Amino acid sequence: MNEHLTTNTLIDYVHGELPSAEDALAHTHLQSCTECRSEFERETRLSEALRFAAAEDERELPSMVKAEIWQAVRAARPSPYARFATWLQPLVAVPAAAILVAVVYFASPLGHQAPAPLTVDASYYLEQHAAEQMNPLGERNVTPAVLETSDTGRPDPSVGSRTAVAAAVDAVE
Amino acid sequence: MGVPRRPVEPPSAEQAAFLERAIQEYGKATYNFAYRLTQNDADARDLTQDAFIRVYRAWRSFQPGTSFLSWIYRIVTNLYRDELRRRKGRFHEEIPEDNAPQEFGGQRPLAVTPIEDYVEGQLSEPLSQALHLLSPEQRQVVILADIEEYSYQEIADIMGCSIGTVRSRLHRARALLRRLIQRTQQQR
Repeated sequence: MNEHLTTNTLIDYVHGELPSAEDALAHTHLQSCTECRSEFERETRLSEALRFAAAEDERELPSMVKAEIWQAVRAARPSPYARFATWLQPLVAVPAAAILVAVVYFASPLGHQAPAPLTVDASYYLEQHAAEQMNPLGERNVTPAVLETSDTGRPDPSVGSRTAVAAAVDAVE
Repeated sequence: MGVPRRPVEPPSAEQAAFLERAIQEYGKATYNFAYRLTQNDADARDLTQDAFIRVYRAWRSFQPGTSFLSWIYRIVTNLYRDELRRRKGRFHEEIPEDNAPQEFGGQRPLAVTPIEDYVEGQLSEPLSQALHLLSPEQRQVVILADIEEYSYQEIADIMGCSIGTVRSRLHRARALLRRLIQRTQQQR
């Protein structure tokens, strides 16, 4: 490298910020170029002077600053959001607890026994429908084809279907 | 500084311990950094105080294992920038960056070597004066690069700009410093 190093290159070199290849070239050049070495020393001295001046002017943290920081931290009231959140707590907590209890109660098998679902044989309805279709009077069968024979008041499918079929046979005959 | 302070939450024990340790270990460095930026004790105190209140508020966002000093310098830098914007240049006699002297290129400055004189003795005041004449951004870069000895990348992280910007600000700042020192020397 025969060209002189620019001031900017020297500044970056002083700060160790040149890419390694350029850094090596600059280093080599400085070994042989008095003019650039002089400029390099000037830049180095400026950095040293800045550090020296800063060290000479080093100050202690004023004790009042620390006290004021703590005062600001301790004397501060909670933010509006924090106060709102505190006020909101019972309003949210009570319904949430009620919902939780209800969910646990209904979801648990121990909570209560669900009634057994009513089941009716589908053939019962089919047979009854067939009987109504065969009514010669063309009227709806006012007498229920379903006979309530059981004590529970629920229709007895077997009786009902038997009666309906017999009525249908009679009508055909 | 005149920044309105928002309320701060009362400290938890852990948060209080974090703040106490931060002030203990980094209070002085932060205050000195703020003082070099502002060149003014009252502003440096306010800046330091505001920075630690920010640290206190955002203490959970600090990642252990990273540099606390870089973190708080970044906070100070941002607060300082906000304050400068708020005051719109009434704070310092600033030399706009665009008007800063251009680089010397391959040519050598005409100055003899006044810096040697400063190194040998009465350097604090003239250098402080010269630093004060830089733009805030230039002064920040010089402080971080030459006094705090951060890398360009670290400075870019602290100042929230690119490495290229750091590099060009430092080049301009040093060129201006050399010129100012030379002028001071000639006036003697």
